[in-house]
Amino acid sequence: MDNFFIGIFILFFSGVLTLFIKKPDFKLKFLTLGSFIALCFCSIDAVRAFVFNKQTCSISLGSIFNNINFSMDYLSAFFVIIISVMSFLGLLYANGYLKPYISKNKDLSAHCLFLPMLIASMLLVVTVQNALMFLIVWELMSLSSFFLVIFEHEKKDVIKAGIKYLVYMHVSVIFIIIAFALMSIQASSFDFAQFKDILSSDTTLANTIFITAFIGFGIKAGFFPFHNWLPDAHPAAPSHVSGIMSGVMIKTGIYGILRILSLIPHPEVQIDYFVLIISVISALYGVLYAISQHDIKRLLAYHSIENIGIIGIGIGIGMLGLTFNCTPIAILGFGGGILHILNHSIFKELLFLAAGSIYTKTHTRNIEILGGLIKTMSKTSILFLIASIAICGLPPFNGFVSEFLIYFSMLKGLTINNISTFIILVLAIAGLALVGTMAILCFTKAFSIIFLGQARSEAAKNVKEDTTISFIFPMSILGLFIILIGVFPQYVFDFMLKPISIFTGEITFDVSPIIKLMQNISTIAICLIASILVVFAIKYILKNKNEKYVTWGCGYNKPTSRMQYSASSYASPFITMLTPLFKKVADIKKPKTIFPTEAHFEMHMEDVEEAYFLKPLLKSLEKFFAKFEKIQNGNIQQYITYGLIFLALALICVVILG
Amino acid sequence: MNNDKFLILFNVLILLIMPFITLGVIKKTKAFWSGRKGVSILQPLYDTIKLFKKDKTISSTTSWIFNFAPAVIYTTTLFAGLFTPMIKCHSIIDVAGAFIIFSYILGLGKFFALIAAMDTGSSFEGMGASREASFTTIVEPAFFIILASLTALSGNYTFAALTDLISSNGTFGILIIIMAVVSLFIMLLVECSRVPVDDPTTHLELTMIHEVMILDNSGADLALITWANGIKMVILMALISNIIIPLNLDFNLSLILFILMFPILGIIVGTIESGIARLRMSHVFEFVFVMSSFALVVASLAAVKMYGI
Repeated sequence: MDNFFIGIFILFFSGVLTLFIKKPDFKLKFLTLGSFIALCFCSIDAVRAFVFNKQTCSISLGSIFNNINFSMDYLSAFFVIIISVMSFLGLLYANGYLKPYISKNKDLSAHCLFLPMLIASMLLVVTVQNALMFLIVWELMSLSSFFLVIFEHEKKDVIKAGIKYLVYMHVSVIFIIIAFALMSIQASSFDFAQFKDILSSDTTLANTIFITAFIGFGIKAGFFPFHNWLPDAHPAAPSHVSGIMSGVMIKTGIYGILRILSLIPHPEVQIDYFVLIISVISALYGVLYAISQHDIKRLLAYHSIENIGIIGIGIGIGMLGLTFNCTPIAILGFGGGILHILNHSIFKELLFLAAGSIYTKTHTRNIEILGGLIKTMSKTSILFLIASIAICGLPPFNGFVSEFLIYFSMLKGLTINNISTFIILVLAIAGLALVGTMAILCFTKAFSIIFLGQARSEAAKNVKEDTTISFIFPMSILGLFIILIGVFPQYVFDFMLKPISIFTGEITFDVSPIIKLMQNISTIAICLIASILVVFAIKYILKNKNEKYVTWGCGYNKPTSRMQYSASSYASPFITMLTPLFKKVADIKKPKTIFPTEAHFEMHMEDVEEAYFLKPLLKSLEKFFAKFEKIQNGNIQQYITYGLIFLALALICVVILG
Repeated sequence: MNNDKFLILFNVLILLIMPFITLGVIKKTKAFWSGRKGVSILQPLYDTIKLFKKDKTISSTTSWIFNFAPAVIYTTTLFAGLFTPMIKCHSIIDVAGAFIIFSYILGLGKFFALIAAMDTGSSFEGMGASREASFTTIVEPAFFIILASLTALSGNYTFAALTDLISSNGTFGILIIIMAVVSLFIMLLVECSRVPVDDPTTHLELTMIHEVMILDNSGADLALITWANGIKMVILMALISNIIIPLNLDFNLSLILFILMFPILGIIVGTIESGIARLRMSHVFEFVFVMSSFALVVASLAAVKMYGI
């Protein structure tokens, strides 16, 4: 694992070195080069671990830590590769994205220091095998990403979102500490390998620890009741940071859950149901709120919650397979879940980068005032379209492959001879189908309101697409990944079998039927693409005369861009059907008098969980803590008295307890 | 002639020709109930041929999406047809998990239909697109519940799960058949935009769903889209026929029965269309939810059959 540590060292070092470089654009270029070399080093070891075998290494760090074990097993190697590739593409994009900020003389020093630190800490999180060290690098990851989120710290919203993120991350870390502390007390060691014996012998302890850790890591990943930081933090951060955070960083939460799971050989059936139910609710909740959003990055953030839910469904089914000793179900479930981790990081990063390109050109994230960008930003629009189709899980792209695996694992799961499993899985299948169709509703809305029709405001008119390499190259690479995984899933699934074997043990089961399924999908995808092109070519050859004319408007021939359908009206029939699930906040100014001069209407959907659960909770907490205000009165003498009282009490305690 | 080759040819012919005949039968039925003689049953075919010869008028707002979408809509529908079981439950592409691939390929077509409608920048077409997208969200989960329950019952991951419900499940089979047929029939009414969900012959843009989405399409584009819509109807009718027709019949008998099912279902659709009025838009959701509840009944029946009470 030497190469890996050389890579980590270069990452930290190049971050620190940028502090001594004066010119900001040179800073970024240096950083890109440095992390390219570093991530190459890291990937060398990851690929070696994938191809040959697990690699371990142990570092001695004085008496507190004893020996800290690092290991690169298949699961870690899988995450290291994703983190390396996605972070590098994000960093490359930053070169173009931050240009307007550089020309405004924005100071990039902190950004350039914390960006490599975030990447390095993510890489360490997925390889370290020691609970104490894990918490330290986990905290480093949360803090460095916090500083990246508050890049535009002069804006009040950004600081607010950043603080919210920080608070959530620390609530998350409390749960993780509890879970780790419980395990290390029992095992009297911080090493993950030692935990395994404890967890396999005591099922009640295993259940408690899994649920605690699930809540802790679930906050990071963005599962339903703990998701609230996502839709605020992502819009606040710069686009490449949201891309890295949504594409990779929240997956470290999933990694944590998977790591704990790998220590539990036979999860209890209740735990499986718990994961499944939370995941289905997260997926539905995420996409439901995504439909109601007009801020493109908020919309994408809610979609992250949806996709984390889909990944969770896959993991839940895999766990069911383990519980009932049914290897094919476990392989299909974990395979779908883990493949969806990869897929989501690809298309979500692409969507965030594309959203960033739109933002740099139009200076708005509000899709209601965009429109017609397909004519001016043709390359971005095609890439956004590909990613939209992929995120809806439609063939022939990659999202379909993982969703198909998850569906198929659920269908197989129906044959487990257990009626409650049957009921839960039937509802989960319906839930996943509902999520798929709602995603179609959401992304046809997003794509068509942003790119199609006519420009709805001056900002969206006369846009000139930036086709410099730092914009187009990362996005095209991601687009290429989407197509390749969608068209050749059998080769990708072959690789996925290795991380899956962490959970199922050495795969002795004949996987050729599953590979056959993937080959079918591949053939179907190729035929589908080919036949669409053939039909299009035939239509083209027919060569009927085309005449251009204005859009049909019931005989009205002078339509304006304001007469187009808007995003809120597009989502309206669906949202009206589900009114109780939303809290509508409307800002209406009705037209008055016979010749009204001004009128105004705006509507937002507030997060129900935030409005009816979080805010009341915070309010009551605030009330409670206000009662202690008297203690803090600014009088130094009184503070000294507190110290004295504390010392006296401590002394008494020592005397009584001996 | 080789039996396999005959079946493939038969499937393709049904997919390509039957849409026109079925649409013609529906028109004829409606004419009969309103006391008219009506046009020939093959009129939809003549219309389509004529449309292919016509020139196009394209909105100046549109982009390449508008031009590309009809090809996607037509191809995906036809492709989904290749998965559809026809006579004796024979489909051209017969793979495990077929119904998932089938619905997601149709979903791709729907995606392009929606964005093509939005591409024109017309508020009417946006209205249609948003309604179509909303109704689909309810239809699709119900379809998945039915297919998943039938898959679990038969242990067969292909569309063959649809057939032979009576011989393997007895009385439960009859109940499941009734429930499944009713909900698939509702799905047909929604997906092919027939009364009471949508009136394909209406002339008021504000109340249309599917027809309003293709207001700006003309010539070959319009022909492809209407043809695709017909194919979709044939596909759903074929699914219903496969549930109803027992598998162990004589080949010739089931061939005749299968072909007859399309005009019969067409007559039923036409009769419903003549008998009742279109629902108010706000009540359509309630109607579509009927399908979901029937689907849940199918799931419960399957659970009871598999695990007892």
